[in-house]
Amino acid sequence: MKVTDNLTAINLSLSIVYILVLSFIFTELPPLFNTLLASLCIWNLAVTLLKRNKPNAILANTLAALSLLILFYDVGFSDTVTLFVAMLILSSLFKLLQANTKKHYQTIILLSFFSLSTVYLFSQSLFATLVISMLYILNFALLALIESKHSLKIAAKDSCKLLLLALPLAIFLLLLLPKLPAFWQLPGPKLAKTGLSESVDPFDIAKLSNSDELVFRAKFDQQKPSAPYYWRAIIHDEFDGKRWLISDILKSQQVIDQITSAERGEPLYSYQIFAEPGAKPWLYGLQFADSAHQDVKTTSNGLLLRKRFLANSISYTAQSYAFSLAELSRSAHYQNVQLNLAKETNLQSQSLAKRLYEQHNNDDQAFYLALYDYFANNNFSYTLTPDPITGNNTLDQFLFANKRGFCGHYASTAAFMFRSVGIPARVVSGYLGGEYNQQNSYMSIYQYDAHAWVEVLIKNKGWQIFDATAVVSPERLNGSLSQHLQLNSEFTSNLSFGLLRLSNIAGINWLRLKLENLDYQWTNWVLGFDQQKQSSLLKELFGNKQLWQISLIVIATVCLAFICYFVYLSWPKKPESPAHSLAKDYLTVVRWCNKQGISAPSNQTPLQFLAYAAQQLPNERTYIMQFAQLYSDVRYRQLIFSAYRKKHSKNLVKLIKTTTKRTL
Amino acid sequence: MQQTVQAIIDDLSQVIFGKQQQIKLALTCLLSQGHLLIEDLPGMGKTTLSHALAAVLGLSYQRVQFTSDLLPSDILGSSIFNANEHKFTFHKGPIFSQVVLADEINRAGPKTQSALLEAMEENQVTMDGDKHALPTPFFVIATQNPLYQSGTYPLPESQLDRFFMRISLGFPPKEAERKLILGQHNRDYAHLPVRIDTQQLIEIQNKVSAVMLSEPVVDYILALVSATRNNSQFANALSPRASIAVGKAAKAWAFIDGRDFVTPDDVQTIFASVTEHRLGLQHDVSSQQIKQLINTVDVPL
Repeated sequence: MKVTDNLTAINLSLSIVYILVLSFIFTELPPLFNTLLASLCIWNLAVTLLKRNKPNAILANTLAALSLLILFYDVGFSDTVTLFVAMLILSSLFKLLQANTKKHYQTIILLSFFSLSTVYLFSQSLFATLVISMLYILNFALLALIESKHSLKIAAKDSCKLLLLALPLAIFLLLLLPKLPAFWQLPGPKLAKTGLSESVDPFDIAKLSNSDELVFRAKFDQQKPSAPYYWRAIIHDEFDGKRWLISDILKSQQVIDQITSAERGEPLYSYQIFAEPGAKPWLYGLQFADSAHQDVKTTSNGLLLRKRFLANSISYTAQSYAFSLAELSRSAHYQNVQLNLAKETNLQSQSLAKRLYEQHNNDDQAFYLALYDYFANNNFSYTLTPDPITGNNTLDQFLFANKRGFCGHYASTAAFMFRSVGIPARVVSGYLGGEYNQQNSYMSIYQYDAHAWVEVLIKNKGWQIFDATAVVSPERLNGSLSQHLQLNSEFTSNLSFGLLRLSNIAGINWLRLKLENLDYQWTNWVLGFDQQKQSSLLKELFGNKQLWQISLIVIATVCLAFICYFVYLSWPKKPESPAHSLAKDYLTVVRWCNKQGISAPSNQTPLQFLAYAAQQLPNERTYIMQFAQLYSDVRYRQLIFSAYRKKHSKNLVKLIKTTTKRTL
Repeated sequence: MQQTVQAIIDDLSQVIFGKQQQIKLALTCLLSQGHLLIEDLPGMGKTTLSHALAAVLGLSYQRVQFTSDLLPSDILGSSIFNANEHKFTFHKGPIFSQVVLADEINRAGPKTQSALLEAMEENQVTMDGDKHALPTPFFVIATQNPLYQSGTYPLPESQLDRFFMRISLGFPPKEAERKLILGQHNRDYAHLPVRIDTQQLIEIQNKVSAVMLSEPVVDYILALVSATRNNSQFANALSPRASIAVGKAAKAWAFIDGRDFVTPDDVQTIFASVTEHRLGLQHDVSSQQIKQLINTVDVPL
């Protein structure tokens, strides 16, 4: 028994849909479960292509039960969103494996609409959107194919038409229907993203340099300030002998005590940030940052944090102020914390620091400069592939033996040395630099731009940045790591495969920058179109109307559009337009004549009508007669309607229409 | 060739006054190798027209005056015993000529009518088991009085269908009639010059069938014909034979008009003459109904 006429096409396409869905979300699921889903997809493909029988009910159900166990064991219950997504896809795939009636296929296609939408929980990039849109089209086509004998090509064409028709409506609703705050919201899935972590182990940041994932983009309102750009994200103020952590005091103090604007002074610069979804709430800003965005909170140290919806991208405006002296007094009681250090470790480093400090008369500022000199003059080098250091006194080993390190090494060591002489210091991690896009004047900051540096509190001067990288590898400060010449080979060989890796080839680099730009526009205009942007747009369009009034207007407009469409559908059809293009020209002439008050009964032959019109309109007579001649030549004498005659016809129509106007 | 046709029309116009349209229609019929039926009141010039037509075309012709006692053999001929040769020989009747003028055809009885109509259809006469072919070209130009006149036997539909065209002359315009009364008008068709011979006539007929009948025109004919089939006010819908006839007549009309292609205008002009007698309409309303039909059917572009 044949279920539908296009069974193979439907089976094949659905398998492909699920394979593509899987390719988008596999990073979020554990490997064992991924393997399970992939093998189910392949099984489906194999059944279709090799024309084998589908597994019987007992086998499939047993397997489904087993898979459910794997699901619960492997995915776990901690992240309910991912769990449910996994369940949805697993059940859809099993259903597909067993489907043998029309009803089954309809159910699966309905499910795959949901499965497709789940991709947006994890990725909202332009590429993902394009692929998912194609799959939506395919899915609609499949839905149509179940009941029809047409080919997939025709169904896809119709499905395209259908979605294109819906597109203006969707855009209209997206732009104008006010986004109301949700009554209930799905908790966002926990993303398996790389990024900064709460503790700085010198080796961790070096690992980030393997990732070319976009972190955020920044666009300055005015002229962009000069390099370097230290995008602060996390302050680590506790050292446990090996790693730098966030102290409990700092954690509890995250929320800002209201700092008056007088204390802060004028903002240095203001900019807009488009941040990608991240696993952690940290956001990015320069110097002492502040943002008024409703989902962003500012800490007392001038850091920005996300309040919720980590899985969504976010765009916010931020202002940067100079590190304020005011912070000095405010955090006086907390300075002691910033002096803590694991006293028993790294004794060599401690003594070196003390010696240097004494040499410079116990002056903070002089020591600060001396430490720069020390790093500059003792054969330190910057590398992305530092040698592994083990043992208890890792800083000593680095400082006296290896002398090769990534930013984390320098930052750890420097902060430790500052603290050992009683100068408050902390390690800050974030990103340094970024790739500047000339065309749209924005900066893109990638994971490999991750950086760690030191902030020290110099008496009477406030917080200062100390970054040993500046002397070890000054080039790094002026741009992105990807633009660093000396480290280029090291950098590219480190990177997982991507366009960036091939960026020495001019053409590919050009392409990469174009794609990058496109993605920026997408993020800026589509993903960044949030409640705030919409409300400013609505204000511009409607003035200060109430939200419900705007909603009413928008919904009324949509209803009106639908009513117009249905009226149009049931409107008595005009006679079909004639197939021959000369006949169309003839109708143009007839319409024009009608406007001049010369009407033709329907039974009048074209030649009769034209003769009559020529008689009534002496100005146009010659042209009308010529047109009549052409008409009878082509339509009745069957002369070829050549390009010349086509042009002649168009000309005559134009002449007939314009003669009177010209003579007036 | 077309000048010849024009000259013929001019000649005929000298005999039949103010009836150019009818003359052209009659010629159309002959050029499309169809038989012509002229129907009108007595004294309208039917016979004159038919005589003039035959004379101008230079064809051999015979006139048969149909009466109620006319027998088939009076038209077809009969076998007569030849005493010298001791056998029957066939004496051809008046039908054995290129043009047969059947005057007042509906005065004769059905049997005689049938004899003529069989000859028209088959182009041959069967007598005593022998077949006798009729000459080519072979035209029958029949005249008849309107059916409501007394002493008429109406032709059955099947036999009316054999006539390619039916025309009626109608009253002449006032000026023409004035000339007729004054006798300034030479109605002697015997004086008309012979314009063409048989060979030329056949050539013209071939040319006529080569006239271009384009798709929109065929569409128009189909639209008209199917309109009669979907309309209950027509007793008999048009047969395919009628459709073919409309096409042929339109070609001939276009030829007479000096063109080598047909336009929908040609179809409109000849449509009534070709179809009126086939539709089984009441005599007094038939032309109205056909006009209405043409008015309701859109001309394909």
